[in-house]
Amino acid sequence: MTILNTTWHHIRRSPFQSMTAVIAMIVCFFAISFYAIVSNGLSTVIKYFDSKPEVTIFLKDGLDNNAIQGIQKDLASYPNVKETKYISKEKALNIYKEQNKSNPMLTEMVTASILPASFEVIVSDPKILEQIYQNYSSKTDVVDEVIYQKDVIKSLLEWTDIIKKIGIAIATIIGLISFLTVFIIIGMKITNRKEEIRISRLLGASSLYVKKPFLLEGMIYGASGAIIGSTISFILVALLRSNINSFFDPIVFITNSLDFYAIVLVSEIFLGVILGLAASWIGARRYIKF
Amino acid sequence: MKIKFDQVNKTYGSVSALKNINFDIEPGEFIFIVGNSGAGKSTLLKLILSQVKSSSGDVVIDDIFLNNGDKKDIDRIRKKIGVIFQDYQLIPDKTIEENINISLDIVEFPKDQILSKIEDVIKKVDLLDRRHHFPAQLSGGELQRAALARALAVEPRIILADEPTGNLDLDNTWNLIKLLKDINENEKTTIIMTTHNMDIVDSLNKRIIKVENGEIIEDKKEPEKKSKNNSSKKI
Repeated sequence: MTILNTTWHHIRRSPFQSMTAVIAMIVCFFAISFYAIVSNGLSTVIKYFDSKPEVTIFLKDGLDNNAIQGIQKDLASYPNVKETKYISKEKALNIYKEQNKSNPMLTEMVTASILPASFEVIVSDPKILEQIYQNYSSKTDVVDEVIYQKDVIKSLLEWTDIIKKIGIAIATIIGLISFLTVFIIIGMKITNRKEEIRISRLLGASSLYVKKPFLLEGMIYGASGAIIGSTISFILVALLRSNINSFFDPIVFITNSLDFYAIVLVSEIFLGVILGLAASWIGARRYIKF
Repeated sequence: MKIKFDQVNKTYGSVSALKNINFDIEPGEFIFIVGNSGAGKSTLLKLILSQVKSSSGDVVIDDIFLNNGDKKDIDRIRKKIGVIFQDYQLIPDKTIEENINISLDIVEFPKDQILSKIEDVIKKVDLLDRRHHFPAQLSGGELQRAALARALAVEPRIILADEPTGNLDLDNTWNLIKLLKDINENEKTTIIMTTHNMDIVDSLNKRIIKVENGEIIEDKKEPEKKSKNNSSKKI
């Protein structure tokens, strides 16, 4: 009789206990998958804003090349600045014309001289934006105006932070509940099978031999909970994807990448196996005393 | 496997179950432990199986002191012992075949030989038609035989039989005794059997340890055969 047979026998003999353990794991991994998908979506949103010129510094007219190069050097010296792009008056006119090509009335009267030259600054860490904004807002001798989507970035960062913290807290609490559920259920099963364990020990079974089926049982609960929980969340997300993505358009909040879902699934199965094994190991150590 | 009891005492709370027990058992011996109920016969077997520990003194099997032996050593010794418990100790929600299978799995019997071994021992105890039954579906005698089959399956060096004939009818009793005698003679397996039944004891020319109130009152190496015409049977 293999360990797998014994484990299957244990599961079959107390199906409701087994079902409770699996459901606890399903809830846990549904929450974790959901969190992983939302987290990935938020990262995509941040990346989107990261890829945009996040600060635009409009310069006063009449600055010479030395002054412009000085500003460019100064901007480049800030940490986490990915790129500084100088937009001359002529280039600004071209951009303006391109943006309004469908409406010639708006472009006819506009010349390069009335548009300001500017710097577009792209950063890798949005936190540096505030510093650049503050410093250049005060340089009124060379700067006309500084614009950045302060509120959007700020609230995005705040929300991301809050969601991450809540997600981690919920996942931890649900994970702990699942852990305790498996621990208690394995304990109950060991108590129910005390006689069988005692007899096996008298026949020469080692402590590990009698524990193995319970450890495998915990691992099965973890793995099946991870597979079912994440699959449910993937199906749910697939159903809602088009609505959510159209809301965030042009950002693809819910990714279409199969690789992403495969990585989430494999990671969760691994986590489930570890969680189930740890819970059953502690349960077996706690309850098998002979 | 050599067994040695050296000044062994065993108490359960304030009750003294065994007092100053000393004896040696050589490999291949056949020993009857006789005595009244509560004399301490089962406790002797439990000490050999390390099911209970002695309160003082040493129980030594193959130079391993069971009182302070490593768990792995005790598991190793247990694997070489086949036990027929007085209350059978079969796993209730497993069939007879599965019960035997578990004991074979524990002793790491070659997987490809397990089925034939089960078939063989089940045949020996005449339970072929009961192999897929659960213990609750069997009579006392059948359970006794199932326990014997499990003990035999692991090809043990020692067989501990605690009142193995208690629930058997006359024919099955003598069949079982004959089986144990054959195993002892052919396989040189040590047999240690407790019993009340003096007819069985008298029918074999084997060593007898008499226990009374937890003490050995007699250790007969080669008891004389008594002739009893009415109930005993010569094996």
